[in-house]
Amino acid sequence: MVYDLIVIGGGPAGYLGAERAGQAGLKTLLIEERFLGGVCLNEGCIPSKALLHSAKICDYAKFGEKYGVTAKDVVLDHGMVIARKNKVVKTLVAGIKSQLKASHVEVVEGRAYIVDRSHDGYTVKVNNESFVGKRLLIATGSVPIMPPIPGIEKGLEKGYVLTNREILDIPQVPDSLVIVGGGIIGLEMASYFNSAGSKVTIIEMLDHIGGSIDREISQILLKNYQKKGIEFKLNSKVVEIHDGAVVYECDGKREAVEADKVLMSVGRRPTVEGIGLESIGVEIERGAIKTDDKGKTNRPEVYAAGDVNGRYMLAHTAYREAEVCVNNMLGKKDIVRYHAIPSVIYTNPEVAFVGETEETAREKGIDFEVAKVSMRYSGRYVAENEGGDGICKVLIDRKYRNIIGVHMIGNYSSEIIYGAGLMIEAEMRIKDIKELVFPHPTVSEVIRECIFQFED
Amino acid sequence: MATPVIMPRQGQTVESCVITKWYKKKGDTVKVGDLLFSYETDKAAFDEEAKAEGTLLEIFFDEGDDVPVLATVCVIGEEGEDISEFMPGGKKVPTTQGGVVEGEQQSGADNEKKEKIKGGTVTQEDGRIKISPRARNLAEKVGVDYREATPTGPNGRIIERDIRQLIEDDKLVTPAAREAYLKAEEVHISGTGIGGRVTTADVERMKEDKSREMVQPRIQERVAEAEYEEVKLSNIRKVIARTMHQSLANTAQLTIHTSFDATEILAFRNKVKEQGGRLGLENITLNDIILYVVSRTLLNHKVLNAHFLEDKMLIFKHVHLGVAVDTERGLMVPTIYNADGKSLNQISREVKELVEACRKGSINPDYLKGGTFTVTNLGTLGVEAFTPILNPPQTGILGVNTIVQRVKEVDGKIVTYPAMGLSLTFDHRAVDGAPAARFLQELKTNLENFDIFLAK
Repeated sequence: MVYDLIVIGGGPAGYLGAERAGQAGLKTLLIEERFLGGVCLNEGCIPSKALLHSAKICDYAKFGEKYGVTAKDVVLDHGMVIARKNKVVKTLVAGIKSQLKASHVEVVEGRAYIVDRSHDGYTVKVNNESFVGKRLLIATGSVPIMPPIPGIEKGLEKGYVLTNREILDIPQVPDSLVIVGGGIIGLEMASYFNSAGSKVTIIEMLDHIGGSIDREISQILLKNYQKKGIEFKLNSKVVEIHDGAVVYECDGKREAVEADKVLMSVGRRPTVEGIGLESIGVEIERGAIKTDDKGKTNRPEVYAAGDVNGRYMLAHTAYREAEVCVNNMLGKKDIVRYHAIPSVIYTNPEVAFVGETEETAREKGIDFEVAKVSMRYSGRYVAENEGGDGICKVLIDRKYRNIIGVHMIGNYSSEIIYGAGLMIEAEMRIKDIKELVFPHPTVSEVIRECIFQFED
Repeated sequence: MATPVIMPRQGQTVESCVITKWYKKKGDTVKVGDLLFSYETDKAAFDEEAKAEGTLLEIFFDEGDDVPVLATVCVIGEEGEDISEFMPGGKKVPTTQGGVVEGEQQSGADNEKKEKIKGGTVTQEDGRIKISPRARNLAEKVGVDYREATPTGPNGRIIERDIRQLIEDDKLVTPAAREAYLKAEEVHISGTGIGGRVTTADVERMKEDKSREMVQPRIQERVAEAEYEEVKLSNIRKVIARTMHQSLANTAQLTIHTSFDATEILAFRNKVKEQGGRLGLENITLNDIILYVVSRTLLNHKVLNAHFLEDKMLIFKHVHLGVAVDTERGLMVPTIYNADGKSLNQISREVKELVEACRKGSINPDYLKGGTFTVTNLGTLGVEAFTPILNPPQTGILGVNTIVQRVKEVDGKIVTYPAMGLSLTFDHRAVDGAPAARFLQELKTNLENFDIFLAK
């Protein structure tokens, strides 16, 4: 039998793509090697959010006196947190299974290998069985980058060096945790283990944390973290890892920091090897499958979505890319518009942003204006965040007077940012947004406040 | 005191006229009876003479502008006189740029004035586009380019449903891109924004493409130079093009052909020629005879004397016969109202008057509508058969062909007779083939037995 579509990989891009294809009537097969739901559901977004929520409850209880609530003997039971996390993951994975079933998608467990292309389509081998599909959606995701640091391999073997996969299942909270990399994953894990009682140190090569986020917001986040007791070693490069210590270089000096456990979170790279892409000649560029904005590769009817294309490595980007791929397979014109994809860091306080930062806008030569207000313009924020120092920043294009970037730090930002994404994608102008009604009292009102700083 | 010259109203249905030529410049001395400017409606052209003498103080519209009827076109008076009170609802001073913006920048208190200025300038800015205020409001609200609308309103006017069609066809523009897009000449541009909306990036890309194109034609120009002459389409040609295309695109047309023995009507026409003058008869032509017989025969076949309006039909009690007239400007179809109640002589006279008015361009536009069935004659040009195109919402149109000699058998002998062809196009949505054929059959009988028919 020939499938209309074979999806390789059951993460966000894979399972959603398969669901949409199945719903549209394509005879679809999904191949997953490990767990349905992929990194996002099993080792990323969802489990980390389960942990962070527990940490948040713990922090509220511990520091409630600012709000007139005191609690004694507050304990974060890490074992229970992990158990609950596993329950959450299980529930959601079961949900995906039933969704796939409802969408008439067949699922095969095993490692897929693309063998060749024949008249009928593409042949994919799984567990020595061959399947043929007229089209392919490659959604094999990504794996953590392991830089060639002496001691890292031994550490992984012995279990004192961890990736995002292992850290979510460690049975005990380490006394000291060193996180290599101050990006989204590193910051989120720092937030949890700090609340759970670890002494956390983050070693980052750049002079700021949070990767590409707005510099000012990066600074505020850094101060918030430092206040909580997290240590930062910026402009620092890890040169050696021992059992019990991490050695790094800063300003040419070698220093060491104690570590019971080390989390490697310096980034991820697309999974393009060992799946037979070379047998059908799929073009790889800088370690990722090269796609256009429709998700098409250089081979006919071969699409790629999610981390494997090396673009954004965010689950929600993967969702959209998969949908776009399926739409194009069905002959519907659709493209991914990458300029309006929101990003969130689920730290406490939350950081959320979409569109251009001042830095990227300048690099692109966009003539822009900026407005910035304190989160304290929001009544709800003041009521709920004693001593909070969040901000909201909006960038507009000076020529067209439409929004091109929004950056927020403060809780609820994660839930607000999609609205800003909508404004950017719809190219709403300042004067259009001035006509919108924001609910009061909400934190989202700061966007409106920002907008009124601009002239039409 | 200064005297304003207004755009005259030509017929109840005419809402605006296009200025085709100015004979005077601002500052010229004007005498009563001097030719000021020429203007035209969709189908007729007129000249405006000065009714006051003095100096032409101000001209508010240029050649090519579509001016709402009763709007002030220019002002005649003595030099130095204040003409501010005549500053039209049409526009301020004839600068063509940025009309809409001007309107929008008016203070909110002066709403009425604002509306006027806005309305006038939009007409001005868009050249000759006629659009109802309701349609324009909707277009502006949702962000569609109404220049792309296919007008289905009376006299080629864009109405609300035409805008709704554009929305359905995803011809949307983002708010930020709207202004730049409307200023651009090229309207056929595919959008890459949400739901296919045209974005600022698309507009920028369009400009780049345009400048690239500018380079290319220069190379080709020399080759093509002498090969064609570019002639701008007249208003009437645009209207004909649109109506004819819409007719074919939106109806289910079918043409059936027959011929009749014209011996009797030829004999009748000869009699009129010889003795008509004595009886005070017009020079009754074969076409007049056909019009007369059609106007009577239709009463027995009312589905062909009707308007088809998608969800209903208007069946007319009297026959308002459209007569296709070839003029230098293009095809015109004046109407003989209540033709079924007029004598052959009356019809003949009225047709001559209408044809004359059409050719002179002085036809009252009210005579160019309201037809319930149309007759078009290409027989005079030697055409033996053709497929006339319906004049919607009419359900039928009769084409009259030339006379050819045919043979028939009479008493075992082959004899020749003059056969005149008839081609009936009808809208199969409204009329089936058999009823249409029965009309043609009765028409044939009546024409072949014209003497008796006349006695009825």
